[in-house]
Amino acid sequence: MSDEKTNPEAKSSIKSVYWRSPEEKEGVLNQDDLNQDIQKALNTQEQDSGASRRSFLKLAGFSLAATVAGCSRGPVMHAIPYLVSPEEIVPGLSYQIATTCAGCTAGCAALATCRDGRPTKLEGNPRQSWSGGLCAVGQASLLPLYDSHRFSESMRSKKTEARREFSAITWKKADEEIREQLAAIQGAGGNIRILSGTITSPSTLAAIDTFLSGFEKSGHVMFDPLSASSILEAHERTHKTRVVPHFRFDRAKIIASFDADFLGTWISPVEFSKAYAKGRNPDSSPTVFSKHYHFESRMSLTGSRSDHRAVVAPGELRDAIVFLWDVISRKAGIENTLPITPVSNKVEESIQSLSTELWKHRGQGLVISGSSDPTLQTLINRMNHALGNYGKTLDLARPSLQKKGNDRELTQLITDMQEGSIDALIVQGVNPAFDLPPEAGFVSALKNVKLVIRLSPYQDETSQLSDYVCAESHSLESWNDTEAIRGSYSLTQPTVPPLQSARTLRETLTRWQGRTTSDRDLVREYWRREIWPTVPMTSFPSFESFFQKSLHDGCYEHEGSSGAKAPAWVDSDLVAPKESVKPKAGELGLILYSKLAMLDGSHAHNPWLQELPDPVTKVSWDNYACLSPKTAKAKNLSQGDTVIISSAGGTQIRLPVQLQPGQHEDVVAVALGYGRSGTERFHGIGPAWLEAKPSVGSDGRVGKNASVFLTLLSGELGNNGVSVTLKPDGGRSELACSQDYHSLTVPPHLAPKGGEVRDAVRSTTLSEWKNDPDHAIGEHHDHDKSLWKDDHLHPGARWGLAVDLTACTGCSACVVSCQAENNIPVVGKDEMRRHREMHWMRIDRYYQGEGTDIETVHQPMMCQHCANAPCETVCPVLATVHSKEGLNQQVYNRCVGTRYCANNCPYKVRRFNWFDYPREDRLQNMSLNPDVTIRSRGVMEKCSLCVQRIQGAKAEDRRNGNENGVETIEVACQQSCPTSAIIFGDLNDPESKISRSVATKRSYTVLPELNTKPGVFYLAKVSNQDQHNDPTTSAHPTSG
Amino acid sequence: MSIIQTSTLKPPLILGRKTPTQVTSDVCTVPEKGPGRLWLPAFLLALSALLLGIVAVTYQIKVGIGTWGLNRTVGWAFDITNFVFWVGIGHAGTLISAVLLLLRQKWRTSINRSAEAMTIFAVMCAGVFPLIHMGRPWLCFWVFPYPNTRGSLWVNFRSPLLWDVFAIGTYFTISLVFWYLGMIPDVATLRDRAKGFRRKLYSLFSLGWNGSARTWSRYEVTCLLLAALATPLVVSVHSVVSSDFATAVVPGWHTTLFPPYFVVGAVFSGFAMVLTLMIIARKVMNFEDYITQRHISAMCKVVVFTGSVVGGAYATELFIAWYSGSPYEQFAFNNRISGPYAWAYAIMVGCNVVAPQLLWIRKVRETIALVFIISILVNVGMWFERFVIIVASLHRDFLPSSWTSYAPTLVEIATFVGSFGLFFTLFLLFCRFLPMISMNEVKTVLKPHEATESFGKDTLK
Repeated sequence: MSDEKTNPEAKSSIKSVYWRSPEEKEGVLNQDDLNQDIQKALNTQEQDSGASRRSFLKLAGFSLAATVAGCSRGPVMHAIPYLVSPEEIVPGLSYQIATTCAGCTAGCAALATCRDGRPTKLEGNPRQSWSGGLCAVGQASLLPLYDSHRFSESMRSKKTEARREFSAITWKKADEEIREQLAAIQGAGGNIRILSGTITSPSTLAAIDTFLSGFEKSGHVMFDPLSASSILEAHERTHKTRVVPHFRFDRAKIIASFDADFLGTWISPVEFSKAYAKGRNPDSSPTVFSKHYHFESRMSLTGSRSDHRAVVAPGELRDAIVFLWDVISRKAGIENTLPITPVSNKVEESIQSLSTELWKHRGQGLVISGSSDPTLQTLINRMNHALGNYGKTLDLARPSLQKKGNDRELTQLITDMQEGSIDALIVQGVNPAFDLPPEAGFVSALKNVKLVIRLSPYQDETSQLSDYVCAESHSLESWNDTEAIRGSYSLTQPTVPPLQSARTLRETLTRWQGRTTSDRDLVREYWRREIWPTVPMTSFPSFESFFQKSLHDGCYEHEGSSGAKAPAWVDSDLVAPKESVKPKAGELGLILYSKLAMLDGSHAHNPWLQELPDPVTKVSWDNYACLSPKTAKAKNLSQGDTVIISSAGGTQIRLPVQLQPGQHEDVVAVALGYGRSGTERFHGIGPAWLEAKPSVGSDGRVGKNASVFLTLLSGELGNNGVSVTLKPDGGRSELACSQDYHSLTVPPHLAPKGGEVRDAVRSTTLSEWKNDPDHAIGEHHDHDKSLWKDDHLHPGARWGLAVDLTACTGCSACVVSCQAENNIPVVGKDEMRRHREMHWMRIDRYYQGEGTDIETVHQPMMCQHCANAPCETVCPVLATVHSKEGLNQQVYNRCVGTRYCANNCPYKVRRFNWFDYPREDRLQNMSLNPDVTIRSRGVMEKCSLCVQRIQGAKAEDRRNGNENGVETIEVACQQSCPTSAIIFGDLNDPESKISRSVATKRSYTVLPELNTKPGVFYLAKVSNQDQHNDPTTSAHPTSG
Repeated sequence: MSIIQTSTLKPPLILGRKTPTQVTSDVCTVPEKGPGRLWLPAFLLALSALLLGIVAVTYQIKVGIGTWGLNRTVGWAFDITNFVFWVGIGHAGTLISAVLLLLRQKWRTSINRSAEAMTIFAVMCAGVFPLIHMGRPWLCFWVFPYPNTRGSLWVNFRSPLLWDVFAIGTYFTISLVFWYLGMIPDVATLRDRAKGFRRKLYSLFSLGWNGSARTWSRYEVTCLLLAALATPLVVSVHSVVSSDFATAVVPGWHTTLFPPYFVVGAVFSGFAMVLTLMIIARKVMNFEDYITQRHISAMCKVVVFTGSVVGGAYATELFIAWYSGSPYEQFAFNNRISGPYAWAYAIMVGCNVVAPQLLWIRKVRETIALVFIISILVNVGMWFERFVIIVASLHRDFLPSSWTSYAPTLVEIATFVGSFGLFFTLFLLFCRFLPMISMNEVKTVLKPHEATESFGKDTLK
């Protein structure tokens, strides 16, 4: 809700009947006023007993208004009481407010779907040119808004000998005290630092500058737990500008990634996924289809999607890059003075083939690396320069601002802190006490800082060590702006009045300077001062119209590069990259990576993300030690056996083993971001019953913190420089893996003669597809021949889905989107382990191939809405029936729960409510979508093709008297898909996008031999490989 | 020397030269004077098992089906396995009382009463499972096509589960009526011998039986008619139950062989259960003269025959899976035989096909202990047959991503034990309060003047 709609003097006139806000608890609300109003309402009801329904509605309306107003916090500009309802808000009807996702630093524009003054769903904002969908983390970032564990105000800590004791104080008091202490520091010429993650908000950066300018010695240090500092560093060396280039995967014909998980976690995954899919379209003419080489030691999501994946030994990545440089420099006629270390044959072959392709497609290639070594990144820059890729696939004129962290400055800060030369430290965004390894010395150095102020929405590892903890607001309840890519701005506006008494960093710093400008005005004034002058005069008549338009659209982008010039290449001496650490015999190279859902651990509080199966391992609620099956076999370990990982330095953690096909044998990979404090809250999540087990480990937390193995050496936050030994401790800790069997080939000893491959996922190579599109994806089944008349004629529309497996990256954004849209409960680790997940959508992941030569496919699977649905015939009470428009409908009210339908579903997409899943957290329940029923225990549920959206569009059409609305329906999974891999539409309309997709020769249905006639079609996966892995020779990575 | 007619072809069915008076006093001893020492401990044990089951089911209904070990892929396991198992057990009773009555098999007279009682109690146990396996059992009445105010919302006549409702409902009703009507003359006997309250009670349930020739005539006709009505049920009930699986698309279920295979399997398991119970009962209740070696041998022959047919059905399934050329079918059976549930398949084949073959040997048939062990093995095997069909087929079907495994929870095991508790509690109550052997029918086959001891030794005098 924007400020125009909220109440100024609103001390919330009516007490809410079901809302229990912290303000109310603390008596901020005027109880007398509230009671009077309620009394008045009740009196009316008594007098008017004849119209009790009306009275009820009146009361309901009051409580609704109270919900909205009861949590508002002045000063707000205008008030429109719901007595005179705002024109655009109709109770019960949804509306969208443009905002910006704050899930990570990528800063994608987003739309918040709101109802009755509260957001219930986040979606991508198609107006922003480079984003579009919204990833799993972005989707899930709605949930923390309604988190009752968030700070409601500020806290002051009192140091006792053993620990700190925190006591709540009001903002007023906190402001007073902090201002006093800051003034003292200012007076004494003290040294102050702000430590934060990457801040993409220009107005916040301006506020920080203003704030720090008041101090004699000051500085702002940014660091990213998932660091791209080496890329910034390298560009400082080669282009004299400290930025990350804007990578244009859509323009690249050849993509070479050296351990950069750009579709999963690297810098800006949604943007990259969208561009990547755009550059790989088998249906385009002339064919636009990039070729993707991937070099890595573990199995990443991006690696699993690549055309050519080469598995490198730990430490070999550096050698491979140097080798590639050597080949390319020779082709380019540059003298290479770097010594070459030999690499394995397979890698050498890949490098040779890659270099040929890169050279052939000069200016259309893109070489990237996730390495933390700036010299290695400099070498990458050299290659891109020699290949003429700068200005084409790497844009420095409008660079990315999504990563600004500086590991060198962080190291310097810690040194300064250790020396005691820092008087005050303000920490926001990042959680250094958790993110950094103990060796980095941050925690010990913090003791030498006199005043530590922490801005955070939660109590966390860093706030535990701070003198003041100030509540930071959620992005959906605050103002902000973002410049993720230079010249591409987006705005964040409150979608709901602040639920907690929390503030943004910008507002807080301004307050501490003694100014009381509201946050909105801070952003607005910045835009008027800095951005408005750069806007072409012809575009908007006034600043007001410009700002309103940007607010409405959520984003504003400068046309073209608006005269910005790319910095030129600056020659420098060739510096040999650091020798990498290679594990000795008996040791394994440790690779620390981040999982797509958990990232650096800042989302550990989010149950949706904890429960999301990892796109590659399919494990949820835990981190684990990924080992190649061969290594595990040699060490006599199986999935779920616990091992103790210890480094030479004596650091140890105990983790269960996860068998990961396609990973190098000498590698153990562990995810960061687990073992966060605060995950203790998930101990009892999920149903409580006789044999239920907690969702947390023996130490009370979800997973183990692997950041203890990170290295912060010579200004680089390294994630793979450590060699470790592995010791089984004989224990077991069963992992919650949503998929037990990982191949489309049945186990050989159970297969009929000649082996058996199930063609649920069909794939082909680009060359096969181009040569023979009729047969490239295998046999097409003829659906038209039947002895029987069709049961369902679908006279009007027949709704269906088309899922493009070429575009799908497996990123699982759709899974969380579906969960948010359809009120799908979180069931906890134990239930996940028992295979009772409730997700209506899942992504099946299958491996093919042997050893490290693994091919992976991802297949989104949801109710197939069969015309001959096996589930419909077997239900004794007609609780699942076919609609006139082709939907397989589940009638929750009628269901008695025999589960016969689920047994008879060949796709196994039906989900049963085994328990009444906990819905006690009333604040959390505010995130529920009121258009979708909460299912009770004992009933079956499944994908409804977002029937509420279809019905909503039809109702809208009836109201407007047209039929265009239904053509614009987007189902939840489709809307959030960054690569537009999911298409929804009317199969009966030959002009619809879905009909055109289904008509292509890539289209097929799953299990056509059963003649279920699904309404969900798949478009076969096309990859740009030289040769296709023969699936019949497939090995069985983990036997079922 | 009196002329005693003896025959090698028609040996007496009841031993011990019983007179009708003796029969009456033998059979009425238990209801009138109380059972032997073993009855009470057995009853307490059964009652404890029943209570355990009641606790488990109450907990499950209160908390949810999640207290069972089921998952998204395996939607049925112990519940429907137990259901089919108990329905199968019931079949022997109907076969003995109805089919053998029509076929004029006199030897049935001494076991038919308890076999029928077993049928009724088994069907009661079976009926519990479809009820409690529902996610919302309190809405179970929705499966009946009754006029309602919901539109009127009807049931789905295409669903085999609905057919089950009718099949089991009919079966239970007919069995109960048949059993009760057959008991009326004996209840009248008890009434005539009893005094006070017991007399009143028995006279209520004997429906004014007066023993006149006309009453007897109508009784005989009614029994014959009911037998004729019950006979098709022997075939139909388990055919319908098998349709739950046969009409589904799941590989391993989708089989036209299922109806006959299930019917024979049911008779097989039913006779095994009758054997188990009778061997105990004749010992405990001192009915060795009534339930003789001859009865046991006859039932053994039925068991070995039906067991062989079941073995044939197993082989046919495998052949058809291979012959069909359907990879899903082939995988389903390969997976049964050597997949994760291979042990269950091995138990099934070992107990149902191999073990009963020993009964071809006369010595084995006449060794009560061996027969008892084999009958127990068959019961175990037939339970596992249903478990294999249900779980081993469901757990790995079409899409490998959804393959899971299944293990029961404590609640499920307690419910299973509870169903045995229910069965034995009812059966022991029946033994205690009602005539366990059909006196009036046994009296028709008495040959008190025959020298029964001479049978088989020196039959020619």
